[in-house]
Amino acid sequence: MGRRDSPVSPAPVFCKLRKVRGMQECRMSGRMEDIMIRIEDLSVAFGDTEAVKHVNLELIDGEVLGVVGESGSGKSVTALTLMGLVADSAQVTSGRVLFDDVVLREAGKPCDKALYRQYQGARMSMVFQEPMTSLNPTQRVGKQVEEMLRLHTELRGEDRKQKVLEAFRSVGLREVEKVYSCYPHQLSGGMRQRVMIAMAVILHPRLIVADEPTTALDVTIQNQIIELLREINQKQNNAMLFITHDLNLARRLCNRIAVMKDGEVVELGETEEIFQNPREAYTKRLIEAVPSRVKRRRNAAAESGMGEPAGSGPDGKIPAGGEAAEKAGTEQEECAVQGWNTGREQGAGLERSAGQEKSAGLQECAVQGYRKPILRVRNLSVYYKDGDNSLFSRRKKQCVVFGAEFELYPGESLGLVGESGCGKTSLSKAILGMNREVEGEIVHTTLRPQMIFQDPYSSLNPTKTIGWQLMEPLRARAALDQAFAMTREEMETAAYDMLHKVGMEDKYFHRKPSQLSGGQRQRVSIGQALITHPGMIVADEPVSALDVTIQAQIMELMQKLQQEMHLSYLFISHDINVVYRMCDRIMVMKDGRIIESGETEEIFNHPREAYTKMLLGA
Amino acid sequence: MKKHGMGKWNKYLVAGLLMTGLALLLGIVGIFWTPYSTTAMSAAEKFDAPSLRHIFGTDNFGRDIFSRVMEGMGTTVVISSLVVLFSGSVGILLGALTGYFGGVLDEIVMRVTDAVNGFPSILLTLVIISVLGSGRQNVILSLGIVFVPSYIRIVRSEFIRLRDADYIRRARLMGVGRMRILFVHILPNIFSVFWVSVMIGFNNAILAESGMSYLGIGVQPPDASLGKMLSDAQGYLRTAPWYALAPGLSIVWVVLGFALFSEGIRRRNA
Amino acid sequence: MKYFIKKLITLIMTLFLVSVAAFLAFQIIPGDVVTSILGTEATPEREEQLREELGLNKPPVERYFNWVTDVLRGDLGESYRFSKSMNEMMPVAELIGDKLPVTLWLAAVSLVLIIVIAIPLGVLWARSSSHFLDAVLGVVTQVSMAVPSFFLGILVTYLFGILLKFFAPGSYVSYQEDFGGFLKYLLFPALSIAIPKIAMTARFLRNSMLTELQADYVRTAYSKGCTKRRVMYGHVLRNAMMPVVTFLGMIIAEIVAGSIVIEQVFGLPGIGRLLISSISTRDFPVVEILILYITFVVIFVYFLVDILYRVIDPRISEV
Repeated sequence: MGRRDSPVSPAPVFCKLRKVRGMQECRMSGRMEDIMIRIEDLSVAFGDTEAVKHVNLELIDGEVLGVVGESGSGKSVTALTLMGLVADSAQVTSGRVLFDDVVLREAGKPCDKALYRQYQGARMSMVFQEPMTSLNPTQRVGKQVEEMLRLHTELRGEDRKQKVLEAFRSVGLREVEKVYSCYPHQLSGGMRQRVMIAMAVILHPRLIVADEPTTALDVTIQNQIIELLREINQKQNNAMLFITHDLNLARRLCNRIAVMKDGEVVELGETEEIFQNPREAYTKRLIEAVPSRVKRRRNAAAESGMGEPAGSGPDGKIPAGGEAAEKAGTEQEECAVQGWNTGREQGAGLERSAGQEKSAGLQECAVQGYRKPILRVRNLSVYYKDGDNSLFSRRKKQCVVFGAEFELYPGESLGLVGESGCGKTSLSKAILGMNREVEGEIVHTTLRPQMIFQDPYSSLNPTKTIGWQLMEPLRARAALDQAFAMTREEMETAAYDMLHKVGMEDKYFHRKPSQLSGGQRQRVSIGQALITHPGMIVADEPVSALDVTIQAQIMELMQKLQQEMHLSYLFISHDINVVYRMCDRIMVMKDGRIIESGETEEIFNHPREAYTKMLLGA
Repeated sequence: MKKHGMGKWNKYLVAGLLMTGLALLLGIVGIFWTPYSTTAMSAAEKFDAPSLRHIFGTDNFGRDIFSRVMEGMGTTVVISSLVVLFSGSVGILLGALTGYFGGVLDEIVMRVTDAVNGFPSILLTLVIISVLGSGRQNVILSLGIVFVPSYIRIVRSEFIRLRDADYIRRARLMGVGRMRILFVHILPNIFSVFWVSVMIGFNNAILAESGMSYLGIGVQPPDASLGKMLSDAQGYLRTAPWYALAPGLSIVWVVLGFALFSEGIRRRNA
Repeated sequence: MKYFIKKLITLIMTLFLVSVAAFLAFQIIPGDVVTSILGTEATPEREEQLREELGLNKPPVERYFNWVTDVLRGDLGESYRFSKSMNEMMPVAELIGDKLPVTLWLAAVSLVLIIVIAIPLGVLWARSSSHFLDAVLGVVTQVSMAVPSFFLGILVTYLFGILLKFFAPGSYVSYQEDFGGFLKYLLFPALSIAIPKIAMTARFLRNSMLTELQADYVRTAYSKGCTKRRVMYGHVLRNAMMPVVTFLGMIIAEIVAGSIVIEQVFGLPGIGRLLISSISTRDFPVVEILILYITFVVIFVYFLVDILYRVIDPRISEV
C-alpha cells in the first residue's frame, strides 16, 4: 500500500484548531479531503442497549486523539466499530464511518468485510490491551508479524523475513533473529507489546488504533511503550486513536482528547485546554478523581489527633504532612527518620549487619515517648515454596522478601508501593499469618487483623446474603471466645450499623453479592473487615479493580472510617498516586527489598532512589 | 446473568424433567405392581406384535414386555440411585478433605484416583466383579467404587479453586473454624457443579448396570433387568424386533432425559 | 528430554503397580481353584498334587516374582478351563494369540472412522452459522451419547444387517481366511463403537473452536485483514486441536473398553469375548493376563499422547 503523499499541511492544523468548536466550519471551508477518519453521528447497539450514542470524531494525518472514559463508556466499541472488528451482534443504528471519504460502515447495513479487509492491516491497524492473549500462542511471533506482509504485499519469503526483522529493530527489540522464532509465552510482557506494535506499524498504516496498550504492563514498561508510540507517531506521521481510562496517560501523548461517558462524547478539545478548563462536570470529576500530585491530600492526621483519648502523652503519630508535622517535636522527627533509615539500609543489604547499632537507636526513640506500634516487623524474610509437589521435583524455597523492617502506628496509614512481583503481597500475607514460611519477627497488638482484597468479585461468598456475611465474623469470634458471645439480635443490629457506616441501605442486608456493583461489594468487604473492630487493616490494592470515580468514593470511605474507628492501614498499591492520597508514610519496595521509606511529602518531593524517581515520573 | 427470558425454566429442563419423571415413575411403580405378571407364560401369545393389549408386544414365552420393562426399570433405578448415593457422598467427603487440606492424604488419594481414572471404568468393574462374583450387591459395590474417583476429582478441584478464593481467605482471617469453612462456606458454592456431575453419574450408572447384565455379569435372576432382556431378545431380532427395541429404547429414554435435565440445570446456572 | 525420562519412570512404576494389583486381586479371590477344576469329589491327595503343580502352595511374594518372570519370558501360564489335549492345559499365550489381532483391528478401524469423520464434522459444525445444522447435530450427538453401546450394536445389526442386508449378522470371516471379508465385517462393529465417540469428538472440537474464536488473538488476526477462512484454518484450528489430542487419547482407552461389549454383540472372537467368558467361568489365569494386557495398552497410549502433546504444543514443550 502506498504512503500518503504529503505530510501535514497547514490547512488541517487550522482545521484541527477549529475542530474544538465544531466541524461544520471545516466542511464549509472545503477542506474535507484532508480529514482522514470521519465518524459521523455513530450509534452502535447490542440488542436493546446502545453502547455508543451519536458520536462524532475526526482524525487527520499525524494527529493523536485520545478517547478517555471509564469501563462501559463505549470507547472500545467505538474503536472496534471503526476498525470493523466489532462483534456481529452489534448493530450500527445511526451515522457512518468514513476513511478518506470512502464509507466503511453505514447505519442499517451489515459490515462489508471484504471492503474492510482492504483497510485492515494495510491502512489501519490496531494494538490491543493484552499482548499475551492477543498473539496466537502456538505460532512463532515472527510468522505472525509476517502474516501482515503475506496478506498485503507481494514480497517473497526471505524479503518478508528481512522486513519483519527490520520492523522488530525499529520498535526497539534486540536479538531480532531470536525473537523472530520465539513463541509469545517466551517473551516478556513489554517485548510482546513491542511485537504487537511492530505488527501494527510494519506496513506504515495511516491510522493506528491503540486500545489501552499499556494497561496490562508494569509502570516502567508502560513508559517505554508510550515513548515508543510517540516516536513512531513522529517518524511515520500516522494518526493515532489512543484509547485509555487514564487521563494522565492521555495527557502525555495526545493532541486532542475526547471524553466519553455512557456512550456519548461529553467533551472534546485540545488536551491542555481540557485539563485547564474542563467545561463538563463529568470531566472535572474525572480529572479530580484521578489521584494526582497536583491536588493536596486530605489531612487526615491532624483531624484524627482529636479523636485520640486525652492524656496519651505527646502525639505518638509519626507526623505526616500538614500542621501536625510542624507541631511535632523536631527531635522526635529526627528519630523517626533515623529509624526508617535503618529499615531501608538493612533491607538493601542483608549481608551487612552494620544496621544493628542504628536499630538500637530506634529502640531508644520508642522509649523516649513514642506510642507503641500496633505492628512491628523486624528483619523479616518471606519464602515461597515453588514447584509441584511431585515425586521428582523437590520443592524449591525461594526468598521473595528480604529483611523487611518497619512499624505501623495506631491510626496511621502506611503505604507499600511497588510493581507487580516486588513482594508486597507476600509481605502482607506473611504479616497476616497466611504464609508461614518466614524468618524474622512480626509482632502486632491486634487480635485479628483483617484484610481487604483487590477483586471485589471474589471477596464475598456468592451463596450467602450480605447480612450473613457481615455477621459471620461476629459468630466466628464468639465461637473462639465465650466473652464475645452475642445474641442473634445483637449481631443483626451490629450488622445493620456497619451497613450504614459503609454507606449502604438496609435493603441490601438480604441481598446476595451478585446483585451488587463492584463498588458496593467493596463497601461490604470493608464492613466485614471492620465489624469486629480489628484496629489494623491490610488493604491489598483495594481500589485497583474499580473505575476512577468509584475509586475516589472508596478511598474517601476508608479515610472516614479510619478517623471514626481509629484504624491503622497497611495500604498496598502499585499506583503511587493512590498511595499519595491515602497514606501518611510510604515504603517503596523493589525486588523483595524495601529500598526507600519516609513521609509521603518527603518521598514525593525528595525521592532518594532512582527507582522511586522513576515511579514518580510515570 | 440469565440470557433466556424463561428465567428458571428452559426447554431442556422441562423436557428432561418430563422424560425422567415418566421413566422413574414407571420404574418405581414397577417394583410393586405391573399390568401383567412378569412370570406368567402363555404359548398362545408368543411374539405378539405391539398392540393395545400389550403395548410393547410379548416375548418368546408370551410374557408382556411392557411389564418386564417396568420391572427392569425399577431394578435399574434402585441400583443407580444407590450407586450415586454411595459414590457421591464418599466423593464429597474425600474430595473436600483432600482438596482443602492437601498433604499426605491428598497425595495418596490422588495417586489412587489417577490410577483408577486412568483406564476405562468397565475394566475395573470387571476386575471387581470377577473377584467378588456377580449379583445385585456386588454390582452396586463395584460401580460405587469405580465412580468414587470422578466425584473426588470434581469436588477436590472445586475445593482447591475455592480454598484460595479471597472470601475464604478472609473467613480464615476472621477465625472461622475449619469444618465450618469446609461445609458452610465452601460446600454450597460447589453444588451447581456437583449436581450436574450427579446427573451424569446417574446416567453412567444406568448404562453400566444394563451393560453388565447384558454381558451376563450383572444382576442375576430372579432380579429383572433391561440388559438381560436385550441379550435374550438379540436372538429373535429377525422375528420380533420389538422385543429388543422396547428395553433398548427405554434405556435411551431415561438416559436422554437425564442428559437434557442436567443440560437444563447447567444452562440455568450459567 | 528430562520430561520424557520422568514420564518413562512413571510409566514403568505404574505398570509395576498394576501388575501387583492384578496379582493381589486374583490371589484373594474367594473360592479354591483346585476344587473348581477337580470338582468336589476329588481325593485330598489329588488336590494337594494339583496345588503343587500349579505352585499355589508357595508364599505370595515368591509366587508373584515367579509369575512376573514367567510373563516377561512370554510364558503366560495355563488356562484352568481350556485343555489343549487330554492331559495338557491350554497355554494362555496360545489362547490369546489368534484372538488379539481381531480386537486390535477392531480398535484401529474404529479410531480411523472417528478421526476421519469427527474432525471435519467438528470444523463444519463450528463454522456453520445455520441454526438448522446446529440443531440437527446437537440432537444427534445428544441422542447418540445416550444409547448404550450394546444396544447401538443391536440397532446397527438390525438396520444394516437385517433391514438393509449390507452384511450377514453372524457370518464372521476369520482374518486368516479372507482379510478383505474380515475388514468388511469389522466395519459395522467398528461403526457401533465409533458413532458415540464421533459425536463426542465432533462436539468437543466444535466447543474448543468456539472457545478459541472468542480469544483475543482471533481479533488480532481479523485486524490484520485475514479472511474468516484464514482465521479458522491458519490460527484457530491448531489451537483448538490441542485439547482434542488429549481427548482422542482418552477415546482410545474407551474404544478398547467398548470393544469388549461390541465383540459380544457381533460374535467376534476377540479378547473381549474371551475375557467375559473367562470371568463367568472364573478362569483366573486368563482374566489376569487379559486385564493386565488391556491395562498396559491403555497406559501406554496415555503415555504416547502425553509425549505427543508436548511435541505439538509449544507452550509446554520446553518447561
